[in-house]
Amino acid sequence: MLHLIKTIINKVYIIFLMCFTVWYGFFLYPVIWGHGGADHDVDPTAATEANVDAEIAALLNEADMQEEQFASALREQGRIATTNLGYMVVEEEYVQGHFHHVGMTVEPDDSSLCIRCHGAIPHDKAKAIRAFLNMHAFYVACETCHIQPKTEGESWAFRWYDKKSGELISNPPGLTSLDKSMYGNYGAKIAPGRISSSGQFMFLNDEKERAFVEKYLQEKDRLGSTQQSKMKKVIHRRIDEDPLMCDGCHNDTSPYLPYDLLGYPKRRKQDLVGTEVAGMVAKYQEFYMPKFLLPGDNWKPEAPKPAAEKAEEDGAY
Amino acid sequence: MGVLPNKMLHSTAKRHTEAFAALLAMFLVIFMLGGLTWTAPAQAEDELNCVLCHKFRGLSRIDEEGRFRLFYINENLFMKGPHKRVMCLDCHRDIKKIPHDPAEKVNCTVECHLTEPSSKQNFTHAPVKEILDASVHSKYDKEGNLKDYPEDYPGCKDCHEQPLYRPLSFFKGESAGISRRGLSRCKSCHQTGDFAEDFYSHVTSRLQKTRESREIVETCAKCHADPAFQKRHGLDNVVASYKETFHGKAVTFGSDETADCMDCHVVYGESVHSIESHTEPTASTHKNNVAATCRNEECHVKAGEAIASYQVHTDYSNAEKYPMQYYMLKFFQGLMAAVLYFFIIVIFLELLRRLFPNFCFIKEKPTDAKSVLQNSSSEKGA
Repeated sequence: MLHLIKTIINKVYIIFLMCFTVWYGFFLYPVIWGHGGADHDVDPTAATEANVDAEIAALLNEADMQEEQFASALREQGRIATTNLGYMVVEEEYVQGHFHHVGMTVEPDDSSLCIRCHGAIPHDKAKAIRAFLNMHAFYVACETCHIQPKTEGESWAFRWYDKKSGELISNPPGLTSLDKSMYGNYGAKIAPGRISSSGQFMFLNDEKERAFVEKYLQEKDRLGSTQQSKMKKVIHRRIDEDPLMCDGCHNDTSPYLPYDLLGYPKRRKQDLVGTEVAGMVAKYQEFYMPKFLLPGDNWKPEAPKPAAEKAEEDGAY
Repeated sequence: MGVLPNKMLHSTAKRHTEAFAALLAMFLVIFMLGGLTWTAPAQAEDELNCVLCHKFRGLSRIDEEGRFRLFYINENLFMKGPHKRVMCLDCHRDIKKIPHDPAEKVNCTVECHLTEPSSKQNFTHAPVKEILDASVHSKYDKEGNLKDYPEDYPGCKDCHEQPLYRPLSFFKGESAGISRRGLSRCKSCHQTGDFAEDFYSHVTSRLQKTRESREIVETCAKCHADPAFQKRHGLDNVVASYKETFHGKAVTFGSDETADCMDCHVVYGESVHSIESHTEPTASTHKNNVAATCRNEECHVKAGEAIASYQVHTDYSNAEKYPMQYYMLKFFQGLMAAVLYFFIIVIFLELLRRLFPNFCFIKEKPTDAKSVLQNSSSEKGA
């Protein structure tokens, strides 16, 4: 019996070594022949970019601007910029052409239904405030402003959900942080929902809604174009024509969002509904900076350059 | 109006003179204080409270050209560099109202409100532009004509992010960061504001490279590793070929003492903005100057002339341009494959034999062998 066990162990060991030898043969192939010369990027920080580079090379043959932009987007995807200061290392997302340091990477909102199609920076129409609106989209779910109660007496409750998992979470700790770089960067978003008679909170875009949209996105190619339009209307059935406006939340009488319940400390709440923000919101159309804060009476912005000169210098210095 | 007595008139005139003098004195004091404050702003120049909005990471949009525009300011990091002494409006000069109109690109060559200590003039980056305009990275050729694809030539922001201090501590050995003990010596005299800390950080940062070699390579790679850029300008992928060299590999693995792009492409001791084409006789990479460049006092000081024959940017995949290197690589790849796969096959067969020690393709042999053995033993007995 002992001899049999020994023999089995020996055979298993040999089979393992044989498998390893075969794997090693496959492993060596790209090591030996994989030298692609200058076309091959060996940057270890961009190990996953090898396949992307091949796609880029293929795309370039099209010599098409939009395809070049797509290629550029592929290159930038997930790219991390590192700055070693010796006493600290700054790791941040790479944003092409961005001068100021971001100092962080950002967790994508993997659980938002809307972002699946509209992207994480969806606001573009209102030119004066689109950046502000996108700023809010960073920590406020789309449905918070775009789906309001339709019937009299109906109201939403609001809770935070985790961007990664989509699950209900308690108030994020970043809310009470004094570190300004954490403002709005909570890894969570405020979203509306209903509280059932048993006291259980349910998001408007609950699991069932998410599963439905997921199914639609996977199977929409089976539908004709007319049916796809019809389904888009069905999915967007609850979206308001007029979204919640800035002063809906930024007022100190009856803010739409329950800041206290959502865990905002008093100082933060005061910032949001106080004159600093609410006043700016009220006057933003014509709010010019006070002249005495400008650097000197003789200071004036440079006169606009002729179009030709501007085109030459555009982006250079 | 009645006529005042002389004494009273004199008294009134005196009071007026005193009041005038007091007002003048107050005005002068306020003016001087104001002037001093204005010419030497302290720090955290955010009087307009721009971070009220710009502290939010999500403040962003996609512009008309499809580019991601991020308006976030990380205040913690902003305060770790020399620009912390500059007001937002010093650079973003065309911003006048909230919400802002689409802003023009920042012009780094304008004068700001800091005083450059050696010249006592307002500080500006304009001299750097002059050097850059005379370099290979200028968008104008020697005749002053715009080169092809001028948008590909770099401006300040293409290579520079917001600079951050890399201070060094020199107390009991060199290490990164501010030496509080060293700083305490400065502060014994320079007590006002953050002058001592800023000065310390600025000077010690400038005593060393402000960026790691790896970061410098990545900066150049922004353009030079872009296939579309290479195609437009007829350039090789010099970043990839550099990374295949010993220099490149050492830098990739974190060495800060190995030659990076700047060490070879900038004439030793000159501004890093003065890079010239290798065809220029004064360029550090001109064939007549390569050996001298390699032999600069921080690198291969004792190297002979032959060091100039070392080819840094060889494209091993280009058989037309580098035929010898291409076929030599193929030969050694083949040789390595032959040797390694020969031994892999031998090892595999050896293991196979250990797995099946008695296996044989010829089935009759065992019986034959038995009879042979029997025959031989009977012969021995006879």
